[in-house]
Amino acid sequence: MKAKDLMIPLQEYLKPETTLKEAANILRTAKRDEERCGVKGLPVLDAAGKMIGFLSMGDILKAVFPSYMGLMNLGDFTWDGMVEDMAKKAGNKKVSDMMTREVISVEEDSSLMECVDHMLKHNVKRLPVIGKDGKIAGILYERDVFFAITRAMLDENAGGAR
Amino acid sequence: MTHEAAAAAQPFVMDTAFWTATVIFLMAYAIIISEKIHKTIVAIFGAGLMLVLKILEQHEAFHLEEFGIDWNVIFLLISMMIIINLMRPTGVFEYIAIKSAKMGKGEPFRIMAIFAVVTAVLSALLDNVTTVLLITPVTLLIADALDVDPIPYLISCALASNIGGTATLIGDPPNIMIASKAQLSFMDFIYHLTPVVILMMVFYIFAIKLIWGKKLKTRDELKSRIMSMNENEAIKDPVMLKKSLFVLALVLTGFVFHGVLHFQPATVALFGAGLLLLLSKTHEPHHILAEVEWPTIFFFMGLFIIVGAVVKVGLIKWMSVQVLELTQGNMFATSMVIMWFSAIASAIVDNIPYVATMNPLVADMARQLWPDLSGVELLHHPDLMPVWWSLALGACLGGNGSAIGASANVIVVGMSEKAGKKISFMKFMAYGMPIMFMTVAVSTVYVWLRYYILKI
Repeated sequence: MKAKDLMIPLQEYLKPETTLKEAANILRTAKRDEERCGVKGLPVLDAAGKMIGFLSMGDILKAVFPSYMGLMNLGDFTWDGMVEDMAKKAGNKKVSDMMTREVISVEEDSSLMECVDHMLKHNVKRLPVIGKDGKIAGILYERDVFFAITRAMLDENAGGAR
Repeated sequence: MTHEAAAAAQPFVMDTAFWTATVIFLMAYAIIISEKIHKTIVAIFGAGLMLVLKILEQHEAFHLEEFGIDWNVIFLLISMMIIINLMRPTGVFEYIAIKSAKMGKGEPFRIMAIFAVVTAVLSALLDNVTTVLLITPVTLLIADALDVDPIPYLISCALASNIGGTATLIGDPPNIMIASKAQLSFMDFIYHLTPVVILMMVFYIFAIKLIWGKKLKTRDELKSRIMSMNENEAIKDPVMLKKSLFVLALVLTGFVFHGVLHFQPATVALFGAGLLLLLSKTHEPHHILAEVEWPTIFFFMGLFIIVGAVVKVGLIKWMSVQVLELTQGNMFATSMVIMWFSAIASAIVDNIPYVATMNPLVADMARQLWPDLSGVELLHHPDLMPVWWSLALGACLGGNGSAIGASANVIVVGMSEKAGKKISFMKFMAYGMPIMFMTVAVSTVYVWLRYYILKI
């Protein structure tokens, strides 16, 4: 089985100049399969349709997390409402300011094990799948890999022979 | 013949080696100032060139104090870094900072003044870079809590750390280097520099009150955010904290008595670092040692070799002759020229390479003034002592003159930018330059009064 067999074809994406406020709304209402129940991350495409980054939930968390908090143990000295204050300030940042630029991605024909290798080594839950034309074709989700694995565990005939 | 005498007797000819070494030295310093290549890489490559071109023999670079690496400085720096790296996870620095903010009762200026004093005291005991690395994050947090502009706090913190660092032997790298070269003890610095630094801090607090006192305002409900913080929660490892404080106290006591006990400061610090590593019972010293700022350490080692080479070929001696000609042997004039020139130079150049060059220059100057003396007798000549203090005061305080004048400033500006608050070069200078002039002016009066009028 290859990446393209399990990926969900690309439906929505973000633009680099979009504000985080708008991006948050797109993430919240994006299509996941057939329902509009929101996604935890979307690729960022430039005007030519080339993927230049990825914005995920973690990046949104980082947008409200002051850089100085990472330098010392200051978690005990925060106050109620701090995240909300920071969120209001962060709303006008651009997607390009916060997105992850070095995106771990796979090719359409990458083997499933290669995908698992990337997911574990880089601790990512979704992998953009790049098509033959060099553009993003879809996204492979950890959940779908998990279902493929469970199917293989339960079905003795499944696997490389197929 | 001692190495020093050998250096003094070095024939002074402007031969190929002289010009080669001079060109490498000037190129290295120019590239360091331009920041086109990382300063550590420049220093290591420059040192490599001096060795491979045989301007300096490897033996001279590695084993002779006169021309090579000053291991006293290197091991003092490494050891203090190890001690701090072991102390940091205990939460003691967060504790001190939060406690200070609470002592300020949430009043913006009171907090600024207390932070300035705490930063100065910590900088005197640790190095400045470490201090600002520990204070800046908390400063930014407090400014967010009070909804005030953090920039005045950050600039004040950097300036106070450079002033405070001037006070002791271990406070600022220039002092460590001067102490090692001139064989001055920890207590020498306490007697000669600490009093004037305390005086400067009093002036400094008045100055920041004048500059920022009225501008900093917050709302009462925000003050309660500070007051509800519990500093005791900062302490993550009380057992290790006790061990660290014990070792730190031991090391500081060791510094106080190292002159009397005939230990070099590096011996005291290395023993402390070894003891704390042992007490920490860590099985993984890798990360503690990895956190030593190796780029800084290698920068020092490279510089020592580059400067050693220009000492050997006679460039530094030639420069010292020029200084003496300029001041015509008048020691008060020499002190003043060195102090003010050091201050201006340190505002433009990193003060570490500057002092690395000035140290042998002052020693060479002494050899010309008193050719019959050598060793400690020469370096501690009563007329020379104020020159060492002037060099220390100028080089340390000059760092406040610009955003690149001291490593502490570079760190603060960098952290501030990361937090989304850019401090422009000119903005830093608008506050730093007047403070530099004020503190050097206080030093001028102090040196003049103490060493040339009262002679105490």
